[in-house]
Formats: sequence, C-alpha cells, structure tokens
Amino acid sequence: MDAFLRLENPTEAQRAYRRWTLLWLTTAFVLFAVVGLLGLLMRLNQARWLSLPPELFYAILTLHGLGMVGTWFVAGMAVLGQILQRYVNPSLRASQIAYFGTLIAVLLLLTATLIGRLGVGWYFLYPLPFYPSGVWPLWASWVFLAFLTIAGLSWTIWVVDYLRAIASRYRLSEALAWPVLFRGRELDVPPVILIATVSLVAGLIGLLAAVVLLVLYYLEGLGTGLRNDALLMKNLTFFFGHVLVNITMYLGVAGVYALYPGLSGKPPLKTKRYVAAAWNVALLLVLLAYFHHLYMDFAQPLWFQRLGQIASYLSSIPAAVVTIVTVLALTYGARGAWTPSRLFLFLGTMGWAIGGMAAVIDSTILVNFRFHNTLWVPGHFHTYFLMGVVLMLLGFGFRFVHELSGHEEPPARSLGWLVALGGYGFLAMFFYGGVLSVPRRYAAYPDEVASGATLAQLATVFVLLLLTGLIIYAWHYVRLLRQAWSSG
Amino acid sequence: MTPQMQAFLVWLLWVAVIGIVFGIAVRGSSSSSPPAPERVDRMRLLMLLVLLVLAGFGLGLTLPRAPYPTAAEVPDRVVFVMGKQFAFALSEDPITNEEEYEEAIAYGSGVEVRRGELIEFRVSSLDVNHGFSLYSPDHRLIAQVQAMPGYVNRLRTRFSEPGDYSILCLEYCGNSHHAMRGVVSVR
Ligand code: HEM
Ligand SMILES: [Cu+2]
Ligand SMILES: [Cu+2]
Repeated sequence: MDAFLRLENPTEAQRAYRRWTLLWLTTAFVLFAVVGLLGLLMRLNQARWLSLPPELFYAILTLHGLGMVGTWFVAGMAVLGQILQRYVNPSLRASQIAYFGTLIAVLLLLTATLIGRLGVGWYFLYPLPFYPSGVWPLWASWVFLAFLTIAGLSWTIWVVDYLRAIASRYRLSEALAWPVLFRGRELDVPPVILIATVSLVAGLIGLLAAVVLLVLYYLEGLGTGLRNDALLMKNLTFFFGHVLVNITMYLGVAGVYALYPGLSGKPPLKTKRYVAAAWNVALLLVLLAYFHHLYMDFAQPLWFQRLGQIASYLSSIPAAVVTIVTVLALTYGARGAWTPSRLFLFLGTMGWAIGGMAAVIDSTILVNFRFHNTLWVPGHFHTYFLMGVVLMLLGFGFRFVHELSGHEEPPARSLGWLVALGGYGFLAMFFYGGVLSVPRRYAAYPDEVASGATLAQLATVFVLLLLTGLIIYAWHYVRLLRQAWSSG
Repeated sequence: MTPQMQAFLVWLLWVAVIGIVFGIAVRGSSSSSPPAPERVDRMRLLMLLVLLVLAGFGLGLTLPRAPYPTAAEVPDRVVFVMGKQFAFALSEDPITNEEEYEEAIAYGSGVEVRRGELIEFRVSSLDVNHGFSLYSPDHRLIAQVQAMPGYVNRLRTRFSEPGDYSILCLEYCGNSHHAMRGVVSVR
C-alpha cells in the first residue's frame, strides 16, 4: 500500500499537524452536509413542494453559497497544508488561527442570515447590503461585514504562512519552476509546490482586492459621505470572487497530483517543462479572466470585454490539458482496484473538464448574452465544484482516514454510481434550465419560466440519490475517525 | 433552433468526447499495459493543439458578433429604462430621478414599440443593480443588459415578431427579485 500520507516514522510535530488536517476535513464535511441540505431545501421550494417566505429563501441562498465557497476553500487549504508538509514546514499555529477565525466567521454568517434574514447573495453585489428593502435590520449588514473581515483576515494569515513555508526552502523563481520553464534545467521542485505557489500568489492578490473592497464598504457604511462607484465595486467583487473560486479548484488539483500517481501504482510526478509552462500561464490568465462576469455591463470598456473572452478561453486550456492527459495516462494500464479515493480523484478530474467547458462556453460574450444569470451559471459552477473539487477533496479525505487508521479501502461500486448518477442528474436540470432561459436565484418561477419548477422537481430526486451516496461515504469515514485520530 | 440549444449541443458533444476518453482509460486500466511516455507526450501535444485551434476558431467566430452597440448603426427609437426595487419604469422621455420614475411607472411597467425598428434601450438604476432582460412571446431569453446605478447601459434590439415581450429582472436585487418585471409590446 502506498503511504504518501502516513509517513514511516512521523515526528510529534507531524502527528499534531495530521490531527489538525483531520479536524479541518471533518469540520468541512459537517459544514458541507448542513449547507448541502439547504441546497436541497431551495430546490424543493423552486419545485413548489415547499413554500418558504422569499426572505428566508434568499437568506438560505446566501448562506448556502458563501458557506459552500468558504467550506471548500478551507478544505482545499487544509489538504494543501498536509501535502506541503512533506516538503516544507507550514506553521500549525497559523492553521489554528485560521481554524478559529473560520469558526467565528461561520457563527457570524449564521447570525446575519438565519436570524437577521440578510439576503445579499454570495457575491453581495454593491450596493445591495445597503438596500435591505425592509427585510433585514442594519445590524445584520454589520455582522455580515464582520464575517467577511474575520474570514478574510484569518485566511490571509494562512495563505501568507504557506508562502513563507515555501519561501524558506525555495526561491520564488524556483517555486514557479522558472529554471525548468526558461532554461530547461532539471529541478527538484515537485509539481505540487508549483501548483501551490501559483494558487497562493493568485489567492493573495485576490484577497488584497477583497481588502480594498471591504475598506470601501466600511468608508461608505460609516457615513463618511463617500459614495462608491458601482462599476468599480463590481470589478473588485468579481476579481476577488473569481480568483477565490478558481484557486479552490487548483487546491483540489494539487490533491490529485499528490495522490493519484501512488494510487495508480506509479512513481511521483516530476515537474516537466510543459507542466511548468501550463501553470505559469494559469497564474497569468486567471487574473484576467474575471472580466467575463461583467460582459452584460455594457459601460465597461470594450477591450476589457474582449480580453475577458480571450483570457477565459486560454487560461483553462494548458493546465487542464496537462492534468487531464496525465491522469488518463496514469489510469491506462495501471491495474489495481478502483477504491473510492482513486475513483473520486479520477471523476473529479473529469468533472473539471466537463464543468470547465460549460464555463468556457458561457465565457463567450455572444453566448453569455443568453445565458448570463440563467440556471446555466449554477449549472457550470456546481459541476466543477460538486463533481470536481468536492470529489477530489472527498477522495483525499477518504484516503487520509484509511491510511492513518491502517485500513484497506472498500471497493467503490455503489458509492461511485450513486454519486455520479445523482450528481450529474442534479446538474443536468440546471443546464437544461439555462437552455430554457430559466433565471437563476428565483425563489419562485413566474409563468414565462414555469418549466423551472418541473426541472426542480426532477432535480430533487437526483439530489436524494447523491445524498444516499454521501451517507455511505460518511459511514465509512466516521467509522475510522477515532482510530485515525489516535494513530494520527 | 435557439442559440441556447446550439450552445448546449456543443457542450454535449464535448461531454461525449470526455466520456469516451475517460471510459477508454477505465477499460484500459485493467486490461492493457501502460502507454509509452512518447505516446503520452504526443497525445498531450495533440490535445493542446486541437483545443488551441478550436479556441482560435471560437474567438474568431464569436468576438466580432458581440452584442455591443456600434457607431455605425443609428437607432430608430430610444426607450429609457429605470430600475428600482422592485419594478422597471419605461418611457420615451428620460427618467433620471425618483419623480420621473414615479411618473413613468404610473402607467405601469410597459412601453409600446413598432416591429422592425432598431430600438435603443438606455438602462440604468436608482438603487441597486438589476438585470434588464427581454423574453420573446414564446418565453425565450433574447437579450439582456445590466441596470447599474450611476451608469447608462445601451442595449439595441430589433423585434421581428409582434407580441408581448416580458421583461424579467436578471440580477439578484433583493426580496422581490423574482417578481420584478415589465413588458414591451411590439405592434
Ligand atoms: C449538495 C448538493 C448541492 C445542492 C443540492 C445545491 C443546490 C443549490 C441551489 C438550488 C442553488 C440556487 C440556484 C439558483 O436558483 O440560483 C445553489 C446555489 C449555489 N450553490 Fe449550491 N448546491 C449544492 C452544492 C454546492 C457546492 C458543492 C457548492 C460549492 C461551492 C455550491 C455553491 C453554490 C453557490 C456559490 C450558489 C450561488 C449562490 C448565489 O447565487 O448567491 N453548491 N445551490
Ligand atoms: Cu431587480
Ligand atoms: Cu432582481
């Protein structure tokens, strides 16, 4: 059995770090369960089988969206820390600060949405937090700003610490594999260090944009008389949101690079020249692609719009091609059993390819004109999240508890089928909703798009299948948790 | 076939290709021997080239047809649209403040235009972001633009068929977002 995660003779520090990773992952999975059920609740409401008051629906929408994005970001960061720990020394203290920061942030978000009924959507588009239309009290907006501030600060500390850890062993140019890229030199930098550096640098730039955004919010909210520019705020919001969501994807991919070779009985991957090239291109273009969120703001300079489409098309191709072909080549002729972890990493890569293409299609200005803010959008991002990153990180977690507790994995069969069928069925209803012009974020569908309700009914059935699969997963995971903890 | 359906079919084609390729890998995972590294390199290069060519093709085909207004065309008629939680006001006279908004909305959230004319909608908002969209009489989304406070977005459309075109709000704007609407009657 390959033991990438187990290590032969772990030091006390390594064991402590492992326990924290276990705590992070378990916390994330619990949060996933809670906010995932809220997703089911929304689908039931859109199916007309429930009738929540709209203010509750939109509060739930906000909680689900931000809860999910945050949950999978921290899960990805925790997995990355565990991987980095093989090569460098991320600080346990920074991870602990991030953990408690995240817990406080979760409490604040729950308070603002469930008690305060704050419904601003996951990207809280300026100036909506200042226009509650009589639904939420002013304090809820402040609690929400506090949530963003605390989450942002603690995550920044975490990201900076990982970068510090990497920098203490590699120079930045090495960590970005520039000697390989530009001079074709052999270099002892594993691909996960490269992917981590790309993700963390981009993440830090994204978080800086979030700081600017928050400061502008505070200045206006505190009554300094500043009136912000809506277009500028939108650019900042989507720059931050786009980068955060994209690097979360990359964090899952780092898990694939770290684990998939071993699970397929192959040696670890090397940082070849094309790998270096692909991820450096990703770093450059991920920062420009966000313009595709503003295509329908015709006031935005035309060249930004065109740049957005070009960057969106090109940013995804190199890293995806390199990763996909690598995973396929590792799979072909690998023998070995299809355990849940191996299957989830494999399916996760496939979900990235499928969801990524749906995103590229929607990043075509001409197409976006018909798909923007329809259900196509949740269709594509749920694909590369739910059937992409989430599967990758669930796969990692599964492997983790099995290696730590010293158990062999069970066969994947029913678990794999339930998750794949349930997941893609659920997603298909979003995509087809987009084809039928059903708007996203509607608590109830008006007559023009009443077909949305039928699709939501079908979707709930698939969600139940998915849920069954996830319950089987949870059963395996929880069973080994205690043993994994004590041997960790 | 609607443009939405065309985009969907392109994506389905891709899903099929991905499904087949990943399926081949799964089948090969138990029966075949590992591929030679040179073959993998060739495949990587091939896939990269194919996708880059497709991307170039897609850009060349679609970028020039972006729906933004150009100086070359002169609209036949201008319609002013103002969003405010939770209704759109439409008028042939400018709407720039609350008063004019109330005046315009007194007749309902609608406007009449003639078929075949090039209409320019000048869209803005008095409070938060809204999404101004047009649904054809058979309920397909045919055009949209954001309504943003402090900015005027110009959307140009020619209606070829008469009938009532619903306006739905396509940017989440608060509690009655799903009920924010209007109508353009094409005669
Ligand atoms: C467990 C299965 C899931 C279900 C049943 C579910 C369901 C939903 C539903 C019904 C919506 C509202 C769609 C609309 O009408 O606009 C939604 C929105 C959203 N979901 Fe999920 N979802 C799931 C998993 C996830 C995951 C894994 C993520 C990861 C990031 C996620 C992130 C989001 C986001 C960001 C939104 C948009 C919120 C907004 O518009 O403000 N969801 N989800
Ligand atoms: Cu609106
Ligand atoms: Cu709205």
